[in-house]
Amino acid sequence: MNERVRGSGSPVRAADVALPLAGLAGATGAWWALVAALNVPSYLLPPPDAVAAVIVGNPGMFARNAVATAEKVAIGGSVGVATGFLLAVSISRLPWLRRAVYPYLVTVRVLPKIAIAPLLLIYVGTGTTTAVVFIGLIAFFPMVLSTAAGFERVPTEQRDLLRSVDADPLDAFLRLELPYAVPDLFAGLKQSVTLAVIGAVVAEWLVSDSGLGFLILLGSENVQVDLMLAALAVLVALGLSLYGLVVLAQRRLGWTPAAG
Amino acid sequence: MIEIDGVTVTFDDVRAIKDVDLTVEDGEFLTVVGPSGCGKTTLLRTVGGLQEPTTGSVRVNGATTDAARTNAELGYVFQQHTLLPWKSAVENVTFLREMAGKSADREEARRLLREVGLEGFESARPAALSGGMKQRVAIARAIHLGAEILLMDEPFGELDEITRERLGVEIRRLWRAERKTVVFVTHSVPEAVFLADRCVVMESDPGRVIETFEVDLPRPRTDEVYSSDAFQEQVAAIRSVLHENRSEPSTAGPTLTEP
Repeated sequence: MNERVRGSGSPVRAADVALPLAGLAGATGAWWALVAALNVPSYLLPPPDAVAAVIVGNPGMFARNAVATAEKVAIGGSVGVATGFLLAVSISRLPWLRRAVYPYLVTVRVLPKIAIAPLLLIYVGTGTTTAVVFIGLIAFFPMVLSTAAGFERVPTEQRDLLRSVDADPLDAFLRLELPYAVPDLFAGLKQSVTLAVIGAVVAEWLVSDSGLGFLILLGSENVQVDLMLAALAVLVALGLSLYGLVVLAQRRLGWTPAAG
Repeated sequence: MIEIDGVTVTFDDVRAIKDVDLTVEDGEFLTVVGPSGCGKTTLLRTVGGLQEPTTGSVRVNGATTDAARTNAELGYVFQQHTLLPWKSAVENVTFLREMAGKSADREEARRLLREVGLEGFESARPAALSGGMKQRVAIARAIHLGAEILLMDEPFGELDEITRERLGVEIRRLWRAERKTVVFVTHSVPEAVFLADRCVVMESDPGRVIETFEVDLPRPRTDEVYSSDAFQEQVAAIRSVLHENRSEPSTAGPTLTEP
Protein backbone atom coordinates (compact mmCIF):
# COMPACT_ATOMS: atom_id res chain seq x y z
CA MET A 1 0.00 0.00 0.00
CA ASN A 2 1.23 3.42 -0.94
CA GLU A 3 1.93 5.40 2.23
CA ARG A 4 1.98 8.77 0.53
CA VAL A 5 -0.67 11.29 1.51
CA ARG A 6 -2.51 12.71 -1.47
CA GLY A 7 -1.02 15.97 -2.67
CA SER A 8 2.07 15.79 -0.53
CA GLY A 9 4.28 13.94 -3.03
CA SER A 10 7.43 15.43 -4.43
CA PRO A 11 7.22 16.88 -7.96
CA VAL A 12 8.15 14.53 -10.80
CA ARG A 13 11.84 14.87 -11.52
CA ALA A 14 13.31 14.73 -15.02
CA ALA A 15 15.17 11.52 -14.22
CA ASP A 16 11.89 9.81 -13.26
CA VAL A 17 10.75 10.24 -16.87
CA ALA A 18 14.08 10.08 -18.67
CA LEU A 19 15.37 6.81 -17.21
CA PRO A 20 12.34 4.64 -18.06
CA LEU A 21 12.30 6.19 -21.55
CA ALA A 22 16.00 5.40 -21.92
CA GLY A 23 15.26 1.81 -20.85
CA LEU A 24 12.54 1.49 -23.48
CA ALA A 25 14.78 3.00 -26.17
CA GLY A 26 17.63 0.68 -25.16
CA ALA A 27 15.44 -2.44 -25.32
CA THR A 28 13.99 -1.45 -28.70
CA GLY A 29 17.49 -0.70 -30.00
CA ALA A 30 18.76 -4.05 -28.75
CA TRP A 31 15.86 -5.83 -30.43
CA TRP A 32 16.60 -4.02 -33.69
CA ALA A 33 20.34 -4.67 -33.46
CA LEU A 34 19.82 -8.36 -32.63
CA VAL A 35 17.55 -8.90 -35.62
CA ALA A 36 20.03 -7.10 -37.93
CA ALA A 37 23.17 -8.73 -36.54
CA LEU A 38 21.87 -12.31 -36.52
CA ASN A 39 19.96 -11.84 -39.75
CA VAL A 40 16.75 -13.18 -38.17
CA PRO A 41 14.17 -13.79 -40.90
CA SER A 42 11.29 -11.32 -40.45
CA TYR A 43 8.63 -14.09 -40.41
CA LEU A 44 10.19 -15.22 -37.12
CA LEU A 45 10.96 -11.83 -35.55
CA PRO A 46 10.43 -8.65 -37.53
CA PRO A 47 12.39 -5.54 -36.47
CA PRO A 48 10.52 -2.95 -34.35
CA ASP A 49 10.10 -0.52 -37.23
CA ALA A 50 8.35 -3.22 -39.29
CA VAL A 51 5.90 -3.81 -36.41
CA ALA A 52 5.25 -0.08 -36.15
CA ALA A 53 4.70 0.02 -39.91
CA VAL A 54 1.97 -2.64 -39.61
CA ILE A 55 0.03 -0.45 -37.17
CA VAL A 56 0.59 2.76 -39.13
CA GLY A 57 -0.27 0.99 -42.37
CA ASN A 58 -3.69 -0.17 -41.20
CA PRO A 59 -4.83 2.07 -38.36
CA GLY A 60 -8.53 1.45 -39.02
CA MET A 61 -8.24 -2.30 -38.45
CA PHE A 62 -6.38 -1.89 -35.16
CA ALA A 63 -8.75 0.84 -33.97
CA ARG A 64 -11.79 -1.31 -34.80
CA ASN A 65 -10.43 -4.32 -32.99
CA ALA A 66 -9.20 -2.26 -30.04
CA VAL A 67 -12.72 -0.85 -29.70
CA ALA A 68 -14.20 -4.36 -29.93
CA THR A 69 -11.95 -5.52 -27.08
CA ALA A 70 -12.52 -2.36 -25.06
CA GLU A 71 -16.28 -2.81 -25.37
CA LYS A 72 -16.14 -6.32 -23.99
CA VAL A 73 -13.87 -5.17 -21.17
CA ALA A 74 -16.16 -2.24 -20.40
CA ILE A 75 -19.40 -4.24 -20.37
CA GLY A 76 -18.07 -7.40 -18.74
CA GLY A 77 -15.84 -5.46 -16.36
CA SER A 78 -18.70 -3.19 -15.27
CA VAL A 79 -20.97 -6.17 -14.63
CA GLY A 80 -18.27 -7.94 -12.60
CA VAL A 81 -17.21 -4.86 -10.66
CA ALA A 82 -20.78 -3.77 -9.91
CA THR A 83 -21.78 -7.27 -8.78
CA GLY A 84 -18.64 -7.54 -6.67
CA PHE A 85 -19.29 -4.17 -5.06
CA LEU A 86 -22.91 -5.00 -4.25
CA LEU A 87 -22.00 -8.37 -2.77
CA ALA A 88 -19.26 -6.73 -0.68
CA VAL A 89 -21.78 -4.20 0.65
CA SER A 90 -24.25 -7.00 1.40
CA ILE A 91 -21.80 -9.17 3.30
CA SER A 92 -20.57 -6.17 5.27
CA ARG A 93 -24.14 -5.50 6.42
CA LEU A 94 -25.36 -9.06 6.91
CA PRO A 95 -23.15 -11.17 9.19
CA TRP A 96 -25.04 -14.38 8.33
CA LEU A 97 -24.47 -13.83 4.62
CA ARG A 98 -20.81 -13.17 5.26
CA ARG A 99 -20.44 -16.43 7.14
CA ALA A 100 -22.29 -18.36 4.45
CA VAL A 101 -20.47 -16.91 1.46
CA TYR A 102 -17.11 -15.43 2.39
CA PRO A 103 -15.12 -18.69 2.89
CA TYR A 104 -16.06 -19.77 -0.63
CA LEU A 105 -15.15 -16.44 -2.17
CA VAL A 106 -11.70 -16.84 -0.65
CA THR A 107 -11.52 -20.49 -1.75
CA VAL A 108 -12.51 -19.76 -5.35
CA ARG A 109 -9.56 -17.38 -5.50
CA VAL A 110 -7.21 -20.32 -6.02
CA LEU A 111 -9.24 -21.60 -8.96
CA PRO A 112 -7.84 -20.42 -12.32
CA LYS A 113 -10.89 -18.71 -13.78
CA ILE A 114 -9.73 -19.67 -17.27
CA ALA A 115 -10.61 -23.25 -16.41
CA ILE A 116 -14.28 -22.23 -16.24
CA ALA A 117 -14.34 -20.89 -19.82
CA PRO A 118 -15.06 -24.26 -21.52
CA LEU A 119 -18.07 -24.71 -19.22
CA LEU A 120 -19.38 -21.29 -20.25
CA LEU A 121 -19.14 -22.40 -23.89
CA ILE A 122 -21.69 -25.09 -23.08
CA TYR A 123 -23.98 -23.01 -20.85
CA VAL A 124 -23.89 -19.59 -22.51
CA GLY A 125 -22.98 -20.50 -26.09
CA THR A 126 -20.32 -19.24 -28.42
CA GLY A 127 -21.35 -15.60 -28.79
CA THR A 128 -20.24 -12.30 -27.32
CA THR A 129 -22.38 -12.96 -24.23
CA THR A 130 -19.95 -15.69 -23.23
CA ALA A 131 -17.07 -13.24 -23.48
CA VAL A 132 -18.94 -10.71 -21.34
CA VAL A 133 -19.89 -13.31 -18.74
CA PHE A 134 -16.33 -14.60 -18.57
CA ILE A 135 -14.84 -11.12 -18.21
CA GLY A 136 -17.44 -10.30 -15.59
CA LEU A 137 -16.57 -13.41 -13.64
CA ILE A 138 -12.86 -12.74 -13.72
CA ALA A 139 -13.31 -9.08 -12.68
CA PHE A 140 -15.77 -9.95 -9.92
CA PHE A 141 -13.47 -11.71 -7.45
CA PRO A 142 -10.79 -9.11 -6.74
CA MET A 143 -13.50 -6.47 -6.45
CA VAL A 144 -15.65 -8.30 -3.93
CA LEU A 145 -12.73 -9.43 -1.77
CA SER A 146 -10.94 -6.08 -1.69
CA THR A 147 -14.06 -4.06 -1.07
CA ALA A 148 -15.25 -6.40 1.68
CA ALA A 149 -11.83 -6.05 3.33
CA GLY A 150 -12.18 -2.26 3.01
CA PHE A 151 -15.44 -2.20 4.93
CA GLU A 152 -13.71 -4.15 7.70
CA ARG A 153 -11.36 -1.24 8.29
CA VAL A 154 -13.99 0.99 9.87
CA PRO A 155 -12.91 1.17 13.55
CA THR A 156 -15.52 -0.08 16.04
CA GLU A 157 -15.24 3.13 18.07
CA GLN A 158 -15.95 5.11 14.92
CA ARG A 159 -19.21 3.21 14.48
CA ASP A 160 -19.98 3.75 18.18
CA LEU A 161 -19.41 7.46 17.74
CA LEU A 162 -22.09 7.63 15.06
CA ARG A 163 -24.40 5.44 17.12
CA SER A 164 -23.97 7.88 20.01
CA VAL A 165 -25.72 10.56 17.94
CA ASP A 166 -28.18 8.12 16.34
CA ALA A 167 -26.84 8.88 12.85
CA ASP A 168 -28.94 7.91 9.85
CA PRO A 169 -27.72 4.51 8.55
CA LEU A 170 -27.53 5.66 4.92
CA ASP A 171 -25.54 8.75 5.96
CA ALA A 172 -23.25 6.55 8.02
CA PHE A 173 -22.72 4.28 5.04
CA LEU A 174 -22.03 7.06 2.56
CA ARG A 175 -19.94 9.29 4.80
CA LEU A 176 -18.14 6.81 7.05
CA GLU A 177 -18.08 3.24 5.76
CA LEU A 178 -17.76 3.84 2.03
CA PRO A 179 -14.91 6.36 2.33
CA TYR A 180 -13.07 3.97 4.65
CA ALA A 181 -13.40 1.26 1.99
CA VAL A 182 -12.32 3.51 -0.89
CA PRO A 183 -8.55 2.75 -0.86
CA ASP A 184 -9.23 -1.00 -0.90
CA LEU A 185 -12.02 -0.54 -3.40
CA PHE A 186 -9.60 1.08 -5.83
CA ALA A 187 -6.97 -1.60 -5.16
CA GLY A 188 -9.61 -4.16 -6.17
CA LEU A 189 -10.64 -2.11 -9.18
CA LYS A 190 -7.06 -2.00 -10.47
CA GLN A 191 -6.81 -5.78 -10.26
CA SER A 192 -10.23 -6.19 -11.86
CA VAL A 193 -9.36 -3.96 -14.82
CA THR A 194 -6.10 -5.80 -15.45
CA LEU A 195 -7.80 -9.19 -15.22
CA ALA A 196 -10.69 -8.02 -17.40
CA VAL A 197 -8.25 -7.33 -20.26
CA ILE A 198 -6.71 -10.78 -19.80
CA GLY A 199 -10.22 -12.23 -19.74
CA ALA A 200 -11.12 -10.40 -22.94
CA VAL A 201 -8.14 -11.86 -24.81
CA VAL A 202 -8.89 -15.38 -23.61
CA ALA A 203 -12.57 -14.96 -24.51
CA GLU A 204 -11.63 -13.72 -27.96
CA TRP A 205 -9.50 -16.80 -28.54
CA LEU A 206 -12.49 -18.96 -27.68
CA VAL A 207 -15.62 -17.30 -29.00
CA SER A 208 -14.96 -14.13 -30.93
CA ASP A 209 -14.41 -12.99 -34.49
CA SER A 210 -13.08 -9.57 -33.61
CA GLY A 211 -10.85 -7.86 -31.08
CA LEU A 212 -7.12 -7.69 -30.39
CA GLY A 213 -7.07 -11.23 -29.00
CA PHE A 214 -8.68 -12.41 -32.21
CA LEU A 215 -6.00 -10.56 -34.26
CA ILE A 216 -3.28 -12.31 -32.28
CA LEU A 217 -4.91 -15.68 -32.90
CA LEU A 218 -5.27 -14.83 -36.59
CA GLY A 219 -1.62 -13.82 -36.78
CA SER A 220 -0.64 -17.08 -35.13
CA GLU A 221 -2.64 -19.20 -37.57
CA ASN A 222 -1.11 -17.40 -40.56
CA VAL A 223 2.37 -17.15 -39.00
CA GLN A 224 2.24 -13.35 -39.21
CA VAL A 225 4.47 -12.45 -36.29
CA ASP A 226 4.43 -8.75 -37.23
CA LEU A 227 0.62 -8.69 -36.94
CA MET A 228 0.77 -10.50 -33.59
CA LEU A 229 3.35 -8.11 -32.16
CA ALA A 230 1.43 -5.10 -33.46
CA ALA A 231 -1.78 -6.35 -31.82
CA LEU A 232 0.15 -6.99 -28.59
CA ALA A 233 1.48 -3.43 -28.62
CA VAL A 234 -2.04 -2.04 -29.05
CA LEU A 235 -3.25 -4.35 -26.28
CA VAL A 236 -0.61 -2.98 -23.91
CA ALA A 237 -1.72 0.55 -24.78
CA LEU A 238 -5.35 -0.39 -24.13
CA GLY A 239 -4.55 -2.04 -20.81
CA LEU A 240 -2.46 0.90 -19.65
CA SER A 241 -5.17 3.37 -20.65
CA LEU A 242 -7.83 1.52 -18.67
CA TYR A 243 -5.51 1.25 -15.67
CA GLY A 244 -4.72 4.95 -16.05
CA LEU A 245 -8.43 5.77 -15.95
CA VAL A 246 -8.73 3.99 -12.59
CA VAL A 247 -5.68 5.84 -11.25
CA LEU A 248 -7.17 9.16 -12.37
CA ALA A 249 -10.49 8.33 -10.74
CA GLN A 250 -8.67 7.44 -7.53
CA ARG A 251 -6.82 10.76 -7.54
CA ARG A 252 -10.13 12.59 -7.81
CA LEU A 253 -12.21 10.51 -5.41
CA GLY A 254 -9.81 8.64 -3.21
CA TRP A 255 -7.60 9.22 -0.25
CA THR A 256 -4.51 7.28 0.72
CA PRO A 257 -4.04 5.97 4.23
CA ALA A 258 -0.99 7.57 5.78
CA ALA A 259 1.18 6.23 8.54
CA GLY A 260 0.05 7.38 11.98
CA MET B 1 -28.82 15.12 34.99
CA ILE B 2 -27.91 11.47 34.65
CA GLU B 3 -29.70 8.93 36.86
CA ILE B 4 -28.22 5.44 36.97
CA ASP B 5 -30.56 3.19 38.91
CA GLY B 6 -29.61 -0.36 39.87
CA VAL B 7 -27.77 -1.05 36.63
CA THR B 8 -26.39 -4.54 36.08
CA VAL B 9 -24.82 -5.60 32.79
CA THR B 10 -24.17 -9.26 32.05
CA PHE B 11 -22.21 -10.58 29.09
CA ASP B 12 -22.62 -14.35 28.52
CA ASP B 13 -23.28 -15.00 32.23
CA VAL B 14 -20.33 -12.85 33.31
CA ARG B 15 -21.39 -9.80 35.27
CA ALA B 16 -19.54 -6.78 33.88
CA ILE B 17 -21.16 -4.42 36.37
CA LYS B 18 -23.44 -5.13 39.30
CA ASP B 19 -26.07 -2.93 40.92
CA VAL B 20 -24.62 0.49 40.17
CA ASP B 21 -26.58 3.46 41.50
CA LEU B 22 -25.25 6.87 40.64
CA THR B 23 -26.58 10.34 39.97
CA VAL B 24 -24.61 12.95 38.04
CA GLU B 25 -25.80 16.52 38.60
CA ASP B 26 -25.92 19.14 35.89
CA GLY B 27 -22.61 20.95 35.57
CA GLU B 28 -20.74 18.36 37.60
CA PHE B 29 -17.32 16.97 36.67
CA LEU B 30 -17.47 13.32 37.71
CA THR B 31 -14.60 10.91 37.24
CA VAL B 32 -14.81 7.11 37.38
CA VAL B 33 -11.59 5.32 38.24
CA GLY B 34 -10.76 1.65 38.58
CA PRO B 35 -8.56 -1.13 37.26
CA SER B 36 -9.06 -2.82 33.88
CA GLY B 37 -12.13 -5.01 33.91
CA CYS B 38 -13.98 -3.09 36.63
CA GLY B 39 -16.70 -2.21 34.13
CA LYS B 40 -16.13 1.55 34.06
CA THR B 41 -16.26 1.66 30.27
CA THR B 42 -19.36 -0.56 30.29
CA LEU B 43 -20.96 1.82 32.77
CA LEU B 44 -20.20 4.78 30.51
CA ARG B 45 -21.58 2.90 27.52
CA THR B 46 -24.89 2.34 29.31
CA VAL B 47 -25.09 6.10 29.87
CA GLY B 48 -24.26 6.71 26.21
CA GLY B 49 -26.96 4.28 25.08
CA LEU B 50 -24.34 2.07 23.44
CA GLN B 51 -24.94 -0.75 25.92
CA GLU B 52 -28.37 -1.86 27.08
CA PRO B 53 -28.43 -2.61 30.84
CA THR B 54 -29.42 -6.20 31.64
CA THR B 55 -31.39 -4.89 34.59
CA GLY B 56 -31.89 -1.41 35.97
CA SER B 57 -32.28 1.83 34.07
CA VAL B 58 -30.38 4.91 32.97
CA ARG B 59 -32.16 8.21 32.41
CA VAL B 60 -30.61 11.29 30.88
CA ASN B 61 -32.41 14.56 31.65
CA GLY B 62 -35.43 12.50 32.60
CA ALA B 63 -35.64 10.63 29.29
CA THR B 64 -34.27 7.37 27.93
CA THR B 65 -30.71 7.12 26.60
CA ASP B 66 -32.15 6.39 23.15
CA ALA B 67 -33.93 9.73 23.25
CA ALA B 68 -30.70 11.37 24.43
CA ARG B 69 -28.83 9.88 21.48
CA THR B 70 -31.48 10.97 19.01
CA ASN B 71 -31.42 14.51 20.40
CA ALA B 72 -27.60 14.58 20.35
CA GLU B 73 -27.43 15.26 24.08
CA LEU B 74 -24.32 13.11 24.58
CA GLY B 75 -20.91 14.13 23.32
CA TYR B 76 -18.68 11.07 23.29
CA VAL B 77 -14.87 11.20 23.35
CA PHE B 78 -13.16 7.81 23.01
CA GLN B 79 -9.67 6.59 23.82
CA GLN B 80 -9.10 6.30 20.07
CA HIS B 81 -9.40 9.73 18.51
CA THR B 82 -11.96 8.45 15.93
CA LEU B 83 -11.16 11.26 13.51
CA LEU B 84 -11.80 10.60 9.85
CA PRO B 85 -8.38 10.39 8.18
CA TRP B 86 -9.55 12.02 4.94
CA LYS B 87 -11.03 15.10 6.61
CA SER B 88 -9.34 18.24 7.91
CA ALA B 89 -9.55 19.25 11.57
CA VAL B 90 -12.43 21.66 10.90
CA GLU B 91 -14.30 19.10 8.83
CA ASN B 92 -13.84 16.54 11.58
CA VAL B 93 -15.24 18.97 14.14
CA THR B 94 -18.35 19.68 12.04
CA PHE B 95 -18.78 16.04 10.94
CA LEU B 96 -20.38 14.70 14.12
CA ARG B 97 -22.86 17.56 14.36
CA GLU B 98 -23.84 17.00 10.72
CA MET B 99 -24.28 13.29 11.34
CA ALA B 100 -26.54 14.17 14.28
CA GLY B 101 -28.78 15.92 11.75
CA LYS B 102 -27.89 19.44 12.87
CA SER B 103 -26.47 22.20 10.73
CA ALA B 104 -22.76 22.63 11.32
CA ASP B 105 -21.14 26.01 11.75
CA ARG B 106 -17.60 26.19 10.40
CA GLU B 107 -16.90 29.49 12.13
CA GLU B 108 -17.93 28.01 15.46
CA ALA B 109 -15.79 24.95 14.67
CA ARG B 110 -12.80 27.24 14.06
CA ARG B 111 -13.47 29.07 17.31
CA LEU B 112 -13.50 25.77 19.19
CA LEU B 113 -10.25 24.67 17.53
CA ARG B 114 -8.67 27.93 18.71
CA GLU B 115 -10.18 27.28 22.13
CA VAL B 116 -8.45 23.88 22.35
CA GLY B 117 -5.16 25.40 21.21
CA LEU B 118 -5.17 24.33 17.57
CA GLU B 119 -5.13 27.68 15.84
CA GLY B 120 -3.31 27.27 12.54
CA PHE B 121 -4.14 23.58 12.27
CA GLU B 122 -7.70 24.00 10.97
CA SER B 123 -6.90 22.46 7.58
CA ALA B 124 -4.53 19.78 8.86
CA ARG B 125 -5.50 16.16 8.39
CA PRO B 126 -5.22 13.79 11.38
CA ALA B 127 -2.04 12.18 10.00
CA ALA B 128 -0.30 15.53 10.42
CA LEU B 129 -1.39 15.91 14.07
CA SER B 130 0.15 14.43 17.22
CA GLY B 131 -1.85 12.13 19.50
CA GLY B 132 -2.63 14.96 21.89
CA MET B 133 -3.71 17.26 19.06
CA LYS B 134 -6.02 14.59 17.67
CA GLN B 135 -7.72 14.29 21.05
CA ARG B 136 -8.08 18.07 21.16
CA VAL B 137 -9.91 17.89 17.84
CA ALA B 138 -12.10 15.09 19.22
CA ILE B 139 -12.93 17.24 22.26
CA ALA B 140 -13.75 20.25 20.07
CA ARG B 141 -15.97 17.94 18.01
CA ALA B 142 -17.87 16.75 21.09
CA ILE B 143 -18.40 20.35 22.24
CA HIS B 144 -19.50 21.46 18.75
CA LEU B 145 -22.15 18.75 18.81
CA GLY B 146 -23.91 20.99 21.31
CA ALA B 147 -24.43 18.26 23.89
CA GLU B 148 -24.56 19.38 27.50
CA ILE B 149 -23.11 16.08 28.64
CA LEU B 150 -19.63 14.93 27.65
CA LEU B 151 -18.86 11.24 28.06
CA MET B 152 -15.13 10.67 28.01
CA ASP B 153 -13.77 7.13 27.89
CA GLU B 154 -10.07 7.29 28.80
CA PRO B 155 -9.55 10.05 26.25
CA PHE B 156 -5.94 10.61 27.32
CA GLY B 157 -5.16 6.91 27.77
CA GLU B 158 -2.70 6.71 24.91
CA LEU B 159 -0.91 9.97 25.58
CA ASP B 160 2.31 10.57 27.46
CA GLU B 161 2.07 11.77 31.05
CA ILE B 162 3.11 15.36 30.41
CA THR B 163 0.54 15.77 27.64
CA ARG B 164 -2.09 14.16 29.88
CA GLU B 165 -1.46 16.66 32.67
CA ARG B 166 -1.64 19.61 30.30
CA LEU B 167 -4.85 18.36 28.73
CA GLY B 168 -6.22 17.79 32.23
CA VAL B 169 -5.83 21.48 33.04
CA GLU B 170 -7.41 22.40 29.72
CA ILE B 171 -10.38 20.08 29.91
CA ARG B 172 -11.26 21.58 33.32
CA ARG B 173 -11.02 25.06 31.82
CA LEU B 174 -13.18 24.07 28.83
CA TRP B 175 -15.73 22.40 31.10
CA ARG B 176 -16.14 25.68 33.02
CA ALA B 177 -16.10 27.89 29.93
CA GLU B 178 -18.59 25.77 27.97
CA ARG B 179 -20.71 24.83 31.03
CA LYS B 180 -20.82 21.09 30.42
CA THR B 181 -21.52 18.07 32.55
CA VAL B 182 -18.65 15.60 32.27
CA VAL B 183 -18.38 11.91 33.07
CA PHE B 184 -14.72 11.00 32.67
CA VAL B 185 -13.52 7.39 32.86
CA THR B 186 -9.85 6.66 33.55
CA HIS B 187 -7.58 4.06 35.10
CA SER B 188 -5.19 6.74 36.34
CA VAL B 189 -5.86 7.67 39.97
CA PRO B 190 -3.99 11.03 39.80
CA GLU B 191 -5.91 11.99 36.68
CA ALA B 192 -9.21 11.01 38.29
CA VAL B 193 -8.41 13.12 41.36
CA PHE B 194 -7.13 16.15 39.48
CA LEU B 195 -10.19 16.41 37.24
CA ALA B 196 -12.95 15.51 39.67
CA ASP B 197 -15.52 17.37 41.64
CA ARG B 198 -16.50 13.89 42.65
CA CYS B 199 -14.61 10.67 42.02
CA VAL B 200 -16.28 7.26 41.83
CA VAL B 201 -13.98 4.32 42.56
CA MET B 202 -14.81 0.95 40.99
CA GLU B 203 -13.43 -2.54 41.51
CA SER B 204 -13.77 -5.71 39.42
CA ASP B 205 -15.26 -9.23 39.87
CA PRO B 206 -17.98 -8.16 39.65
CA GLY B 207 -17.59 -4.58 38.47
CA ARG B 208 -19.06 -2.37 41.18
CA VAL B 209 -18.76 1.00 42.87
CA ILE B 210 -16.79 0.67 46.09
CA GLU B 211 -16.44 4.29 47.21
CA THR B 212 -17.25 7.83 46.17
CA PHE B 213 -15.02 10.76 47.10
CA GLU B 214 -15.85 14.44 47.08
CA VAL B 215 -12.66 16.00 45.81
CA ASP B 216 -12.00 19.26 47.60
CA LEU B 217 -9.06 20.79 45.79
CA PRO B 218 -8.58 24.43 44.74
CA ARG B 219 -10.70 25.61 41.82
CA PRO B 220 -9.79 26.39 39.12
CA ARG B 221 -7.37 23.49 38.97
CA THR B 222 -3.97 24.71 37.85
CA ASP B 223 -0.63 22.99 37.38
CA GLU B 224 0.25 23.70 41.02
CA VAL B 225 -2.50 21.36 42.20
CA TYR B 226 -0.52 18.38 40.90
CA SER B 227 2.27 19.04 43.39
CA SER B 228 0.10 20.03 46.38
CA ASP B 229 -0.10 17.92 49.53
CA ALA B 230 -3.90 17.86 49.44
CA PHE B 231 -3.74 16.33 45.97
CA GLN B 232 -1.22 13.68 47.04
CA GLU B 233 -3.32 12.81 50.10
CA GLN B 234 -6.46 12.37 48.02
CA VAL B 235 -4.59 10.13 45.57
CA ALA B 236 -3.23 8.07 48.46
CA ALA B 237 -6.71 7.71 49.99
CA ILE B 238 -8.14 6.33 46.75
CA ARG B 239 -5.18 4.03 46.24
CA SER B 240 -5.65 2.57 49.72
CA VAL B 241 -9.37 1.96 49.06
CA LEU B 242 -8.46 0.16 45.84
CA HIS B 243 -5.80 -1.83 47.68
CA GLU B 244 -8.11 -2.90 50.52
CA ASN B 245 -10.75 -4.06 48.14
CA ARG B 246 -8.36 -6.03 46.03
CA SER B 247 -6.82 -7.96 48.93
CA GLU B 248 -10.21 -8.93 50.34
CA PRO B 249 -12.77 -9.06 47.56
CA SER B 250 -15.40 -10.57 49.90
CA THR B 251 -15.75 -7.42 51.99
CA ALA B 252 -17.43 -4.97 49.70
CA GLY B 253 -15.74 -1.94 51.26
CA PRO B 254 -17.49 1.19 52.48
CA THR B 255 -21.02 1.65 51.24
CA LEU B 256 -21.68 3.92 48.34
CA THR B 257 -22.14 7.52 49.37
CA GLU B 258 -24.94 9.07 47.38
CA PRO B 259 -25.41 12.82 47.39
